[in-house]
Amino acid sequence: MAKNPQDVSVELEQTTEEPTRKVRTPKFRNRNGKQVEADLVLNNGPQLSTGEKIKRFIKSQNGWMFMAPALILMILFSFYPIITAFINAFKNDLDMNGVYNGWGFDNFVHVFRGDTGMAGANFWQCLVNTLVFTLVSVPLSTLLALLISVALNSIKALQKAYQTILFLPYLTNSLAMGAVFATFFSVIRTGSGTNWGIINSLLGTQIDWMGLGNTWALGAINIPWAKYIVLIIYEVWTGLPFKILILFSALQSINKQYYDAAKVDGASRSTILWKITAPMISPQISYLLVTGIMGGMKQYTAVVGLFGANMGVAYDMGTMVGYIYRYVEGGTPKYGYAYAASLILFFIIMIITFINNKVTKRHTTYK
Amino acid sequence: MSKKIENQEIVAPETLIEQEVAVEQPNEAEVNPALAGPQTIESEQAAADFDVARVQKKEKTIRIIRNIFVYFFLTLCALLAFLPFYMMVIMSLKTEWEYRSITTTFFPKTFMWKNYSVVLASADDGGNTFVQILINTLVVGLLSTAMGVVVTILTAYALARLNFKGKNIIFAIMLATMMIPGEMFTIGNYQLVSKWGWGNSYTVLILPFLVSVYYIYLLRNNFMQIPHSLYQAAKVDGLSDMGYLIKVMVPLTAPTLTSITLLKFIGTWNSYIWPRLVNREESWQMITNWVTGGFTDSKGILYNGAIGATESLTTLRMAAVCMVSLPLLILFLTCRKYIMRGVSKSGTKG
Repeated sequence: MAKNPQDVSVELEQTTEEPTRKVRTPKFRNRNGKQVEADLVLNNGPQLSTGEKIKRFIKSQNGWMFMAPALILMILFSFYPIITAFINAFKNDLDMNGVYNGWGFDNFVHVFRGDTGMAGANFWQCLVNTLVFTLVSVPLSTLLALLISVALNSIKALQKAYQTILFLPYLTNSLAMGAVFATFFSVIRTGSGTNWGIINSLLGTQIDWMGLGNTWALGAINIPWAKYIVLIIYEVWTGLPFKILILFSALQSINKQYYDAAKVDGASRSTILWKITAPMISPQISYLLVTGIMGGMKQYTAVVGLFGANMGVAYDMGTMVGYIYRYVEGGTPKYGYAYAASLILFFIIMIITFINNKVTKRHTTYK
Repeated sequence: MSKKIENQEIVAPETLIEQEVAVEQPNEAEVNPALAGPQTIESEQAAADFDVARVQKKEKTIRIIRNIFVYFFLTLCALLAFLPFYMMVIMSLKTEWEYRSITTTFFPKTFMWKNYSVVLASADDGGNTFVQILINTLVVGLLSTAMGVVVTILTAYALARLNFKGKNIIFAIMLATMMIPGEMFTIGNYQLVSKWGWGNSYTVLILPFLVSVYYIYLLRNNFMQIPHSLYQAAKVDGLSDMGYLIKVMVPLTAPTLTSITLLKFIGTWNSYIWPRLVNREESWQMITNWVTGGFTDSKGILYNGAIGATESLTTLRMAAVCMVSLPLLILFLTCRKYIMRGVSKSGTKG
């Protein structure tokens, strides 16, 4: 019960906030609030000299010594970049040599105008892509994970084995596995005909999934959202393991008495699922949705793994992060645009966090 | 057992009955939920017995059908989860001709082990790429994991156990940085290290990612669960703060530390963007960067020049993908418990 023993001891004895220095602190009293005699002897109580006080204060601050490595690193590599990001976003057309055209909102204007320019990436295209990938794949994989976890929870034999296999995709390198998925969908033209790929042969279709254009493979069907479907399938595949892990352990921790009571009342299976199970694990579901959406907003490597470093044909599969990195490297880097776009991404994530805080406070009452 | 409950019902007040049912029910209900109904009926015992038998039989059939369905569903999902790994290995062993043939085969006709040797020996102008890149990845992985874990332990300990001025403010600021997307750090860091001329080095791959606030937070919470009396006892015995940390705290939180170590190493193994940005020279890059490159049979070892020297071969790439993915799979299968526990707590890849 006592998760934090320190709190408990404070409650019991009002004056032992720092139990370690009990003997030294002049405040030391017994439980009745009376000053203990030995205290004065051990401690010299209020008669400490100023020099001694300073010495003790310094000694009590040794925590800073432990914090030092992390703090130095964070000041250099976290706090400093954040401050520069907020400053540099307003340096007009800041380039890689630090040259800029005065201060203002030019970077944001450029980003919002959707100029493709030399870099080839359009901000609005990237934003819409990111939102579509995220808002389709996250709910889809969460729902699928819920079904799988419920199924996994209802069996006894081989439960561990299934759990292990289902977790495997989590540990993959998303670029490496992206290359594997790309081969499933890719169409290969050979000397004697066309290999339509595993997915097409399973479905009996001739769809140009990877969107390489239908001119080179005779009879290929070009559907505009094909590439999105490929990416979403891959995202669901990589996103499922973590969600199953979280939901399955949440399911296992539900008190079995609720189910027994429901069975006594003759509740059907689906009623139990939607009226007991789902509400009981609603904190985990909302956690998965929020972290999934936040992760989705930062999607990058999966797209590169599937569609290459150019994110499809001239960034037609680009994401927000892809847009940022396009201006950090590539032909003519424009750090100003990258900083502006990263600030926009930051505010989008802040908004999601804010909405999440509002929503979770109201809806997830079961803890 | 059902009889016992009935007897009690007669004498017991209603609240007690409910309690009894709740306590006794679990085993019963799992075997047969239908039993819950007839329990209270005394006069229709015979009819109920008959009903119970019939309902039991019906329930059993339903349960079997449901189990078949559940296992079928899970097997399908497991197959889909596993299929890409299987195909990855299979494709890496095919000849390029077989990969490009009209029908996709699910088992190689001839095993092309040479794919691996060609990929392993693939060299750029500087020398053997793969060995160099593997060394880079291992050096950076091990160093940044070891140093990162030490920094995490020290910081978590200070935040959990030591009292110093401004601790809460510092902790709040650290937690606040978790909300900021990593890309914002990346650009600033990139600008910083290019200004310092740190490109193409191990330092630049290690230092910026040593501190991960989430692991500090995780470990701090774990440290705080250790009873404070232990600290007092250690102090009485004359142990310093550092001594207490090493001799008591670290051994007690070994499972969490193992998880953090593994996840941190996996994270380094999978890092892609940062090495690509800061270390433009291929010989300084990491293994994930290497996988995204093109793999060609430039020396004509495999197909005697029948495939162009600059043409990227999918089978070779799959061999490279296998070499990147298999260590992760082996690590997972050996340390499954720690990895899954760490992931369920932190939800990050490193």
